[in-house]
Amino acid sequence: MIDAFTLDLLRNYLLVGAALFALGMLGFLSRRNLIVMFLSAEMMLQGTALSLVAFGRYHGNFTGQVFTIVILTVAACEASIALALIVILYNRRSSLDVTLWQDIREEGVPAASPAQEASEAEPIEPVPGPESYPILTPAGIEPAHPVQPWLERRK
Amino acid sequence: MSGFFVQNVWMIPCLPLLGAIIAALGARRLRSSSHVPVVAGIVLAFLLSCGALFSASPEATTWVGRWLPIGNLEVPVEFRVDGLTTMMLSMVTFVSSLVAIFAVGYMAGDPGYPRFFALIGLFVFSMTGLVLSNNYLLTYAFWEGVGVCSYLLIGHWHTRPAAASAALKAFLVNRIGDFGFAVAIIWLWAVLPDHDLSYGNILNGSTLAALPEAAKLGIPLLLFWAATAKSAQIPLYVWLPDAMEGPTPVSALIHAATMVTAGVYLIARSMPLIALAPGVQVLIAVTGCATALLSASIALTQNDLKRVMAYSTVSQLGYMFMGLGAGVSDVAQLAVMAAMFHLFTHAFFKGLLFLASGSVMHAMGDVIDMRRFGGLRHRLPFTHLTFAVGGLALAGIFPFAGFFSKDEILLALKSASYSGAGQGWGWVYLLIYWVAIVTVFMTAFYTARAYFMTFWGPEKLPSPEDPEAPRPEPGSGHGDHEPHGPGQGETHDHDHGHVGEESPPVMTLPLLILAVCALLAGICFGPTHLFEHHLHETFGWELLGHGEHGSDLATALISTIGGLLGIGLAYRFYAAESPVPGQLATRFRPLYEASLNKFYVDEAYDWVVVKTTKALAIVCEFLDIYLVDQLVIGIAKLPRKLGKDLLAGYQNGLIQFYAAVSALGVAVLLFILLLF
Amino acid sequence: MSTGQVILATLVILLGAGGSYLLLPHRHGATRSRNVHAAGAVLASLALLGFLTFFSPPSPFLAGLFFYLFSIGAIAGGLLTVTSRNPIYSALWFASVVLSTAGLFLLAGAQFLAAGTVIVYAGAIIVTFLFVIMLAQMEGKALYDRAARAPASATFTSFLLFWCLLYTLGPLHPQQYPAAAEVNGQQYAERSLVRGRNITEFYQLNEQHPDAATALAYAQRQTSAMRDASGAENEKPDVAGLGESLYSDHLVTVELAGALLFVALVAAVAITGPKRPIRPGEGPQQDAGEGGRRDPENLMSHGAAATLIRRFFRSRSFRDKP
Repeated sequence: MIDAFTLDLLRNYLLVGAALFALGMLGFLSRRNLIVMFLSAEMMLQGTALSLVAFGRYHGNFTGQVFTIVILTVAACEASIALALIVILYNRRSSLDVTLWQDIREEGVPAASPAQEASEAEPIEPVPGPESYPILTPAGIEPAHPVQPWLERRK
Repeated sequence: MSGFFVQNVWMIPCLPLLGAIIAALGARRLRSSSHVPVVAGIVLAFLLSCGALFSASPEATTWVGRWLPIGNLEVPVEFRVDGLTTMMLSMVTFVSSLVAIFAVGYMAGDPGYPRFFALIGLFVFSMTGLVLSNNYLLTYAFWEGVGVCSYLLIGHWHTRPAAASAALKAFLVNRIGDFGFAVAIIWLWAVLPDHDLSYGNILNGSTLAALPEAAKLGIPLLLFWAATAKSAQIPLYVWLPDAMEGPTPVSALIHAATMVTAGVYLIARSMPLIALAPGVQVLIAVTGCATALLSASIALTQNDLKRVMAYSTVSQLGYMFMGLGAGVSDVAQLAVMAAMFHLFTHAFFKGLLFLASGSVMHAMGDVIDMRRFGGLRHRLPFTHLTFAVGGLALAGIFPFAGFFSKDEILLALKSASYSGAGQGWGWVYLLIYWVAIVTVFMTAFYTARAYFMTFWGPEKLPSPEDPEAPRPEPGSGHGDHEPHGPGQGETHDHDHGHVGEESPPVMTLPLLILAVCALLAGICFGPTHLFEHHLHETFGWELLGHGEHGSDLATALISTIGGLLGIGLAYRFYAAESPVPGQLATRFRPLYEASLNKFYVDEAYDWVVVKTTKALAIVCEFLDIYLVDQLVIGIAKLPRKLGKDLLAGYQNGLIQFYAAVSALGVAVLLFILLLF
Repeated sequence: MSTGQVILATLVILLGAGGSYLLLPHRHGATRSRNVHAAGAVLASLALLGFLTFFSPPSPFLAGLFFYLFSIGAIAGGLLTVTSRNPIYSALWFASVVLSTAGLFLLAGAQFLAAGTVIVYAGAIIVTFLFVIMLAQMEGKALYDRAARAPASATFTSFLLFWCLLYTLGPLHPQQYPAAAEVNGQQYAERSLVRGRNITEFYQLNEQHPDAATALAYAQRQTSAMRDASGAENEKPDVAGLGESLYSDHLVTVELAGALLFVALVAAVAITGPKRPIRPGEGPQQDAGEGGRRDPENLMSHGAAATLIRRFFRSRSFRDKP
């Protein structure tokens, strides 16, 4: 029986995997938020997993899928430890900016400052604080009912 | 018995060396007795040399030890005890012992007393080693040794700038000759089939005939160049007059009797090799002649007694070279023996003259300008007598020693002019012969001038009001004003007699002994042919041409007349106050000035050699600082520049940047791999 | 790869690079106008469409449709993940990427992996990310979210790499290469890549390289194969086959993966440590003597050591209290 998973299909999957990988690398190299950097790394792993599964299917082997399961496991471990470390880093500087960590630079090399020109930057939408949270009626007290004019007696 | 002296001939150099080592090491303990081991060593060496004198034979060699086994160059310490060597040995040790005894009195109270005697001992070791050595390379080593000792001894009072620079000048000029000697040795080593540099291997007919043509001309030329420096011929004689800055015993020993004769000895020893190039021999004779004439003409006007003697030495060395150069075809043996005989007698009378000058200087309180003293013949009887004997010997008056030796050289020249006729050089030798006769006259004149200016005329002692007394600033140029001694203000710090008194016996006794030798050496060794027969026992000289030569009465008469004329003229001009020398000097002012200023040879050398070398040194320094140093510093700075200015900027501590650079590298690499 | 395709690939890359660059945050955090964003989006879409032309559609229509949908979802979601300014948005777009990838796994016949990916990634990892963002960045978009580091070089590097990958994968286009082998009397429309189970015959490894043949035979053993040995070419059920392969051939791997997970768990707890949760703005409480100094390089300084020792003795004395 002819295996339906031809070379063309394999090629498709490989192309998609390559695209995901490239995009992941783009994000890793350019974003400054530690979380987004890590997300991009995870996206790179997705791309490789896709390629692996495709190859396994093409050669008629479960080995590709097994390897992908292992990658999944490793990604999970990596995520947990990386996030723990990110939390530690956040504790030190109260920021998730990766630019703050430059202390291994050579002597005499000027530090890259965290983004300057804040005045040109996009305005931050202020997140409404506690004062804008919806106020809930304490338990046991009947909340104010909304006015439904059609239920009111016509006065 | 003879075997004993040949076997133990190594003791002759080693005894003075041992004395020198003892004097050097025990200087603090011995102090003013430092002369004892050295004088004892030299005297013992002399006694052993006398013993060796009777056991000389052309084949007698002694192997003492291995020195240089390098590849196919084997240089053992081997001594040859033949006629030439033993003659030189006995002369050297004899004169050295007398000079050492003289120096005991002369240098008494000098703060460098132990150092002086240690160096004297070292010098005698080097000189005896030089004449004993049986190998060219070993000779070169001792050659350098005598050069070093000369440097150290001339600069004995090294705190005087004049003495220090004179010592340096002597050493550097000798170096120029030593370079020629080194090249000659290397050339010899290269052309010899078995690379053996010993005399026994080189100075035999078969080896000499087998040398390539270029070597037959070049090696004698280079050996002559070496002798030119050591024996003060044109153009490298300029160090000898300046060497008078050293103590007078040093001048007597080194620059009259022994070291300057090393060049003559080298040529004489290598005579079979030199005889291969008759052109070189003509060159030797012409150089000797020119030197003799030039230095005699300079000596005519010098006012410094030691300078007169120095130029006289240069002139007499020129005579010896004339003799060596006359050794063509069948005159060869006669000529070389004549030169060696003159060397032998010259050692005695020149040494005597120098020591007597030293005695005069010592008595006059370190003043040596002849214009400042006069009429000393009653004050210094022994010095006067011995100086007269030496002067007569130098002038060549019968029966003093110089007569016989000078006569033999003139005879050799005349014979060479006959024999050399066949090769076209006859007229050169004849010319040289007549110039030598003229030089005899000049020699007698300046010697007698010195004698009469010093010992005749009204008695006068040097005083500070003399017009020639030095100004209070320290040592001026090479002129004739400064005293020879440890400098103004310093005294000898001794108390052997006051100014104007005769020297003590320790100084006059060697003078007397030398005077006896100067009187008798000629007669005893010349006409009796004792000298000749002894020198027959020299290795290699059987190769030289030997013809029959009678004595030439005409030459003897002409030279004696010339000598007497010179003495007579000097008597007229200098024995009593006479205005004639002053008038002559005024009439021939340019000639007089040229002669007084040594024909400006030193100044010419300064301009041609010294200034160009200094300019070259300045250029080199400039290149060194701005080219080489900058290059080296630039290379040293390169890693820092690369690292700090170029690459350090890439280590900015941002992990993303590092990752980006790695990724870029991977991408570019992949791109290149795919496309190319 | 023909010249036309190279030019198409280069065009796609350039469009994609331009679009990504415009969509990424400015390198100093400056505002980009809406028009710029729109232009970037247009370019990126064009690039995506051009990229899709490289695919050869799978033969059943539905499979092809879903393939295209999932791949568009994955790539677009990926681009949006990378270029969003709000990290929450990035996490959510990443969730969409994961879902699309799971769909692609399904199409490739790896059902267990599809489910596993959704559960682990979308369920666990993304949720963890969101929790960390909640703890760490309560103000939403921060300054460093609005600025990118060297977007030009990053774009250039990534798309150069992508171009190289395209160039490598291009020659596998169907029309390029003729059939390469005939197996079991049937004409396979095989391309230059020989399938796993035919490698031994195709390259005649049994005759030329016997040890390579044995290695391959081990790699193609029955427990790992997707098809039964009965020769009927029936596919095993995916989960059962995967399970069989996992627990018979890759048993050690499974155990090690478990151990790895355990180690990661312990490590995560140990790193962050059981202490009071720290609000942003407050210094870590234990450095009481240094109130608010947060220099990482002074970890080994006197002060830290001294305070640690002090704390140790203080805690002992506390223990003695009733």
